[in-house]
Amino acid sequence: MSNTLRPYLNAVRQTLTAAMCLENFSSQVAERHNKPEVEVGTSKEVLLNPVVISRNDKERVLIETSVNSLRVSIAIKQADEIERILAHKFTRFLTQRAESFVILRRKPIEGYDISFLITNAHTEQMYKHKLVDFIIQFMEEVDKEISEMKLSLNARARIVSESYLSQFN
Amino acid sequence: MAFRKIDIDALEEDAFGEEEIDFQEIGELRPVSDVESEVNTRAQEVRSLLQRGNFSEALTAALQNPPYGAPYHAAKARNTQTVMDAAYQVKVTDMTQVAKSLSPEEQDVLMKYLYAGMAAPEHYSSGHLLYWHEKLTEVAGQGCIVRVITDRRTV
Repeated sequence: MSNTLRPYLNAVRQTLTAAMCLENFSSQVAERHNKPEVEVGTSKEVLLNPVVISRNDKERVLIETSVNSLRVSIAIKQADEIERILAHKFTRFLTQRAESFVILRRKPIEGYDISFLITNAHTEQMYKHKLVDFIIQFMEEVDKEISEMKLSLNARARIVSESYLSQFN
Repeated sequence: MAFRKIDIDALEEDAFGEEEIDFQEIGELRPVSDVESEVNTRAQEVRSLLQRGNFSEALTAALQNPPYGAPYHAAKARNTQTVMDAAYQVKVTDMTQVAKSLSPEEQDVLMKYLYAGMAAPEHYSSGHLLYWHEKLTEVAGQGCIVRVITDRRTV
């Protein structure tokens, strides 16, 4: 299945680049407020069509755009129980440190494992292509990270059980 | 909005509502049966073109006059199936060629259907669609994606 990884990441990259056209936009509902419209959802006219890019029914990315903010939610591949636990621990570790990641959302959208919220302030402070690169790199790394953790976990379990059972022979 | 229980803006006459999202630019409302029969005729036409091995023409035919708007749920799903059937038949190596033969409007419609297909991975396998997405973006550019996410006429 790894042959679909490249077009998958490529599609996400192109869509993110196209969608990330954000500008400063103050709330139409409350005066002197300025909030990410994709989060508050109070004015429908500034929300754009959400798109889903999927690699298979487990791995998919949801990109929701509005005039001043963009929300990217990623569903990480979880083939079995161990991967599910590892992905949960990993995303939990990251979201607890959301401040250091600037664009990371504290809580993922329902049905997804991790969400990013990019506002116009972020695109003004940071380079757009670097933001896109960051998300793509994250998606590449997270799969690798989890499969590595799974391998080392299995290896460790094997060693533990071996040394435990060796007492009995 | 916690401090305000009633959304008074929704009561205004020119409030932007769901109906407006769907019927903006679509023009007059057509009976559901008309749209469904049109979609079914097109599905048959596309199928006969596919059987003759005319994939490029089948895809072009499938992309004509897609149903937009909330009342046409069944027709939309049927038409997505038609477009997907045609799109799956095109080989990865032929995609660029076929994408170039489409008009800009048809490219936009195809991109809409690609996203619609990818949104339902349980019905349509995404691998082929991802290749389509890549090739179509190469040909039509990112403007094509922007037009899909900004267009209220969703498929």
